[in-house]
Amino acid sequence: MSVTVAVDAGGADLGAAEVAAGAAIAAAAGVKVLLFGSAEEIGEVPDGVEVVDAPLSIAKDSDPVRAVRANPDSSIVRAARAVAAGDADALVSGGSTGAAVAAGLFNIKRGSGIYRPALAVPVPIPGAPVTIVDVGANVEVRSEHLVQFGFMGAALAQTVLGIERPRIGLLSNGGEENKGTPLVVETHALLAERLSAPGSPFTFVGNVEGNDLAAGTADVIVTDGFTGNVTLKLIEGVSQAILGAVRTAATSTPRAKAGGVLLRPALRAFRDEIDPEGPGGAYLLGLRRLGVVPHGRFTRYGFSQAILLAARGVSGDVVGRTHAALEAAGALRGRPEADAASGSAATVPSP
Amino acid sequence: MTREDVVSLIRAHLAEELELDPARIEESTRFKEDLEADSLDLFTLVQELEDSYGVTMSDAEAAKILSVGQAVDFVLAHTPTGS
Repeated sequence: MSVTVAVDAGGADLGAAEVAAGAAIAAAAGVKVLLFGSAEEIGEVPDGVEVVDAPLSIAKDSDPVRAVRANPDSSIVRAARAVAAGDADALVSGGSTGAAVAAGLFNIKRGSGIYRPALAVPVPIPGAPVTIVDVGANVEVRSEHLVQFGFMGAALAQTVLGIERPRIGLLSNGGEENKGTPLVVETHALLAERLSAPGSPFTFVGNVEGNDLAAGTADVIVTDGFTGNVTLKLIEGVSQAILGAVRTAATSTPRAKAGGVLLRPALRAFRDEIDPEGPGGAYLLGLRRLGVVPHGRFTRYGFSQAILLAARGVSGDVVGRTHAALEAAGALRGRPEADAASGSAATVPSP
Repeated sequence: MTREDVVSLIRAHLAEELELDPARIEESTRFKEDLEADSLDLFTLVQELEDSYGVTMSDAEAAKILSVGQAVDFVLAHTPTGS
């Protein structure tokens, strides 16, 4: 089955041509790309990539919600509308995360039975990769939102990251089930209940503390968007600091430099393992179609990964899988009884 | 723009957003009690009304609108071409 991905080329630090180069890599792998951006900047593209001239970018606007509403011809809005109209199966946007969330919410809309969309980021921790959800779409949440975030993240881990039976952990300040804020305690009970059925596709491993996040205890870590955002940036900041310190130490003396040369092959593999471009970026979950938000500073490799992994998510039906798991667990948002009785079931659009 | 025009827009929007049968949305329909609409649903409805009719609705004004009919009243009272 051929998958088409709508890509917003506006807002990338290296320019629309770099995004186009990433699109070309993905097209060579069989993914069809609808590329929205300045045709002049994008230039020539190979077969499999179709350019839609949309030179207006709102990636730098400080009020993304206002910008999305006020600029229907912007590249991100046109790309989101292409997905909503069924011309593409998923959205990739390397510009502003806020604009991608707003454009996705207003145009692609929330999935059936979903309370809130969420942002999930696979963090490539060596030996123990973990996906954190939510990392910024929702600052204030209720327990039923967090439950759904867990299912969304687990379905993503299953389809895109290839984890057979993802383990969901709830971020808290203690391992015991009564540890944490009232919200966390309530969510713990709900997740334990919803994931207790023998046939559940996911597992709940309980609370996970901050220092266990990188221990491989869980594949998916659930938290509110504020905590998730702080956690993610803390990980990124500390990683950068450590890598910088290692680099400095490895070049500090001639002996250290000699050692660095010997270590280089092993470190190259290590560097690839922790490359943030590998996982493709942040995943916008909970909409009727999948969205991926690579970081604006990504190179063509990162953009190609975002497109390829978005396509994998479509092929693996991450949206349908999420819905099915939530429905089986009784964790979908309730619908008015009249419609439920009439059988006018809300369906998730098929890939 | 007539009252029925505004009702139709709101009906279509809610039917799309909440995946409901549009026939069950009337002026008397209450957003929360009858449709189980949440704050995000109401936020997107306000956006739709602002974009479609050029009205501006404050948070305080939005909080007072509890039904389809009240939303229609607001649009007609505040749009420059309301009738």
